[in-house]
Amino acid sequence: MAGGSVSECKEYLFKVLVIGELGVGKTSIIKRYVHQLFSQHYRATIGVDFALKVINWDSKTLVRLQLWDIAGQERFGNMTRVYYKEAVGAFVVFDVTRGSTFEAVSKWKHDLDSKVKLANGNPIPSVLLANKCDQKKDSSNNTPLMDNFCKETGFLGWFETSAKDNINVDEAARFLVENILANDKGLPYEESNGERIKLDQETVTAESKSGCC
Amino acid sequence: MFHHWDKWIKHRFQKGIPSSLRARAWQMLSNSYELIEANPGKFEELEREQGEAKWLDIIEKDLHRQFPFHEMFAARGGHGQQDLFRILKAYTIYRPDEGYCQAQAPVAAVLLMHMPAEQAFWCLVQICEKYLPGYYSAGLEAIQLDGEIFFSMLRRTCPMAYRHLKKFKIDPILYMTEWFMCIFSRTLPWSCVLRVWDMFFCEGVKIVFRVGLVLLKQMLGSVDKLRELQGMYETMERLRNISPDFIREDLLVQEIITLQVTEALIERECSIQVRKWKESRGELTHRPGRRLHGTRAIFEYKRRAAAISSGGSLSFMGNPIPPPGPLRNSSRSPQYLTLWRILLTQGSGQRVQSPAPNLCGPDPPTIRWVVTPPGHHVSRWFHMSQGVNCG
Repeated sequence: MAGGSVSECKEYLFKVLVIGELGVGKTSIIKRYVHQLFSQHYRATIGVDFALKVINWDSKTLVRLQLWDIAGQERFGNMTRVYYKEAVGAFVVFDVTRGSTFEAVSKWKHDLDSKVKLANGNPIPSVLLANKCDQKKDSSNNTPLMDNFCKETGFLGWFETSAKDNINVDEAARFLVENILANDKGLPYEESNGERIKLDQETVTAESKSGCC
Repeated sequence: MFHHWDKWIKHRFQKGIPSSLRARAWQMLSNSYELIEANPGKFEELEREQGEAKWLDIIEKDLHRQFPFHEMFAARGGHGQQDLFRILKAYTIYRPDEGYCQAQAPVAAVLLMHMPAEQAFWCLVQICEKYLPGYYSAGLEAIQLDGEIFFSMLRRTCPMAYRHLKKFKIDPILYMTEWFMCIFSRTLPWSCVLRVWDMFFCEGVKIVFRVGLVLLKQMLGSVDKLRELQGMYETMERLRNISPDFIREDLLVQEIITLQVTEALIERECSIQVRKWKESRGELTHRPGRRLHGTRAIFEYKRRAAAISSGGSLSFMGNPIPPPGPLRNSSRSPQYLTLWRILLTQGSGQRVQSPAPNLCGPDPPTIRWVVTPPGHHVSRWFHMSQGVNCG
């Protein structure tokens, strides 16, 4: 091969969590992002569900995003330690039409930070999603308040999203992946599958980097 | 003789309950109909109460998310959703310490597809309290404990699947939570769901364990099958979306029947896992001993409770689970006889068709029920079999 390099293409596998109160639209966001679909007829998530999005990030980078859709009812909180294991990024979702779901954001963030960390001990990068913005009643500008909230609670940034009208879902995902990639120090990822070792697969171990939107 | 009965009844339910009798059989087997008789007006009384806002909020959010393509539950505010609200709300008032768990909704919905709200409510009560106690309680310890029991059983039943899941660190709660909590109602093709529920009402939680084990065996039980599943995600994807191609109703049922997973085995494994739990996680709030293994245990338990109230021996109070073995004479209660008669009237050995055998879509077909006339008597149920519940 020219220049002696084995392969220029890098492949990443990232586990990303989607958490937040019940009925805020976690499943809808995932379905929109992965399948470009929206339906009023999703079933309530019981336990956890999964979806995979493959992103051709650039000519040299392929990102496999494993999205973990976690049940929102508090009762399932007892299982989150298992669900969160080895995650490298997270979306915390709330519903702009229900204030109580925003109040619960700090609780979710705290649960996340207390149960999963990057290899270096830093919290995993997380982005706040203000979902159902198509149904927002007041048009007041909350941007400074939200920016401040993100800074205080440790979110990289926030997005107003609508899974229904496909607003900002791709943008939010891109923003999170950028941050996950930026954290990457390029330590080789040893896949647990011994029979097929991907030499070019890597995982994130670097420090969390602050950012905003 | 009685253990022949017991075997015979079990075999009847393994063949599948005719759809016209299913609602009554489930209520007979779970003994829920007796709760209705023992608590006249109770359901209406629960309905009249307001209920706690925190539960009502969650229940309302879930109403349109149960079998959303099913005719009965599709319409917002339609009868199906209204009934679902009624029974889930009633349960939070009936058991304020338990409240509402999201996994109860699909179970309640399946019951409502077969019977009116009040009957469905008491049937739900029996599932939550006798068949699967603790499954829906805060902390969800019971389901996590069963996950450990299940995984340990898999090691014996299908070492290949066990090793594969272990290799990819796929914790049982990642796939079995929904399977067990919803009694496979969101997992299997509809005709299989009904067959599984028929056996479950008769034989209890061991059916749930067996179905799970059979599924894992079918999906991860050979080198060929594992070849395609080269990672955690691929494996999870396979387990989360079980293709109907993997499931053939007759084969599934046959495998469930022949799998050697007994009550005794579950209980033994349970005590091992409880010990491990206590060592690694501390005390358990959940008391696994409350679980009754199917209809025989429920009737036995009832008999013992009756013996206590009539001043009988209290020596068995420490153990609510009757010892395995043939039915005692006293289990020959009128209800048990009625159950037996219902089945006798169905002829012998005929295969029972599910309402729509070729419908394997995400949602079950609609089954219409007609409210049983008021004032009916239990012993007359089987005479009224035709037309009460048609597929």
